[in-house]
This record gives sequence, C-alpha cells and structure tokens, in this order.
Amino acid sequence: MNLRRWIEVGSVAVIGMVGLTAVPAIAHHSAAPFYDATKKVSAQGSVTRFLFKNPHSFLYFESSDDKGQKTEWQIELGPAASLTRTGWTPETLKPGTAIKAEGQPSRAEGSHGMCCAKITKPDGSPIVAGGRVTEEQQPPR
Amino acid sequence: MMAWIESTGLATWVRESPSLWAYPTILTLHTVGLGIVVGASAVVDFRLLGFARRVKPIDLSPLFGLMVWAFLLNATTGVLLFIADATTKSRQPVFYVKLSLIFVALWCTFATRRIIREETPDASPASASSPNGARLAVVSLLLWAGAITAGRLMAYM
Repeated sequence: MNLRRWIEVGSVAVIGMVGLTAVPAIAHHSAAPFYDATKKVSAQGSVTRFLFKNPHSFLYFESSDDKGQKTEWQIELGPAASLTRTGWTPETLKPGTAIKAEGQPSRAEGSHGMCCAKITKPDGSPIVAGGRVTEEQQPPR
Repeated sequence: MMAWIESTGLATWVRESPSLWAYPTILTLHTVGLGIVVGASAVVDFRLLGFARRVKPIDLSPLFGLMVWAFLLNATTGVLLFIADATTKSRQPVFYVKLSLIFVALWCTFATRRIIREETPDASPASASSPNGARLAVVSLLLWAGAITAGRLMAYM
C-alpha cells in the first residue's frame, strides 16, 4: 500500500472511531465516563452551596435519613450560560432552600454525586417557571 | 498564584458570567481558531504527502500568515479559558502534554515553511514532496491530532 492509501484508510478509521462515541444530541459531551446512565438515584434535602459557573455548575445539598445520618450530595449541572436560559440565577438556590433531585449516580466509589438531574421543590413543582427554555433536566453540557 | 489569577475580575467574568458572549463565545472562538490553524497546516501537510500535486507548495505559503493570526486568536482565548479555572488546569498533567505537543507542532510548522520557501519558484512541483517534507508532514499531522486529543481530554482527566 502506498502512503496515500494508508492516509485514506487511517482517516476512515479515525472517523469511524469518532462515530462510535456519538453522544445524545442534547449533551455537549458525554457524561458516561463519570455517571451511570442506566441507574437512577434520588434524594431530598436542603441546599448548602451553589456554584453558578462555566463550563459546569455544581449544586451541593444535604439530605438526612431516618436515623439522622447526613449525606452531602453534589449535582453537576450545565454552564451558567445555559442555566440562565431556564431562568436560574446564582440567587435561585440559596443555602437552606429545600429541594428534591433525581438523577444518574456518580461512578466514583462511595461518592454521592449525580448528574443530568431533575431538580424540583420537595412537592415536585419547578424551581422557577418562565425561563426562555423549559426547566427539565440539567445535563452537564 | 493560581488562586489569585482565578480571583481576578476578568477570570471571574469568564467563569461566572451568564452571558453567551462570555464563556460560550470564547470557547467557540477557540474552536474556530483551532480549525483554521490545524486546517491550514493540514492542507500544507497533505500537499507535502502528495495530494493535489498540481498545486505548487510555494503557492500555499500565504497560509502560514493565516496560521499566525489564528494562532494568536487561540493563544488569547486559551489564556482566558485557563485563567477562569487556573487552580485546576495548572494541576492537570494532560494540560502540559497539550502545551508541549502544540510547541513541537509549531516548530514543525516553521520547519515546513522553511522547506517550502527554499524551493525555487520554477522548480518542478514534485520537489517539495521530498522525503524530509513528507516525514515532517506526518509528524505535524500526528502532533496536532495529539494536541487536540489532549485538549479534549482536559474535560475528563
């Protein structure tokens, strides 16, 4: 095979590999390396910290079980620029705000992280209404 | 030091502004610049590998000026993206891998420019498909592909 032929074959192979890693269109990049899309996890508690930033925001909240055992959760969210379109601001989720979240669990052993979460008030109603895009799930885009 | 960089007004604006003109635009320009630098470099490299033989390599030399401007765009947007998250990025080994690959790839680009410019205008079109030029072209393509991969991996490692 001549050089040119090698380049053609190599290019096709690279394009094929990229195709195999195709991700859902909504996501800017796949969350699969960090979160398990085949599982669901949910928790309820009160916000401790809200990092409203690019390229990913993070929401921390604390839940407690029947025995009073506390767990701190970390939810990975989209960029500040996208959250804004749902009507959220850095002030939307002040420490102490009660929330309910359901999302995909982090793959890290022993951690309490989730992504692609649906975050609502404890009664299931939206956090805020009337953004330019519907507040649904917040993938780490 | 990195914490201070990250706390400056400019870094905070890039990181925390909800505007599409902040982070999203900077990242987009970084990608466009990348497309031009690596795209133009790939055109020259593929020519040296024997593609488009009717084009004289010397006729491609204006592309190097374009690469410089696009590279400056990427150096600028790259600094902005770095300062927004300096403490994390400065601790990522893959970031230094990316910078090293870019550094060597740029050296290759300058070496390629020298090879092309040393060619006399009336030389036969095949002359710049010298073994040296072709080898340099392969190395250049691999280095840029590696730099892009390392850059993309910064989101994961």
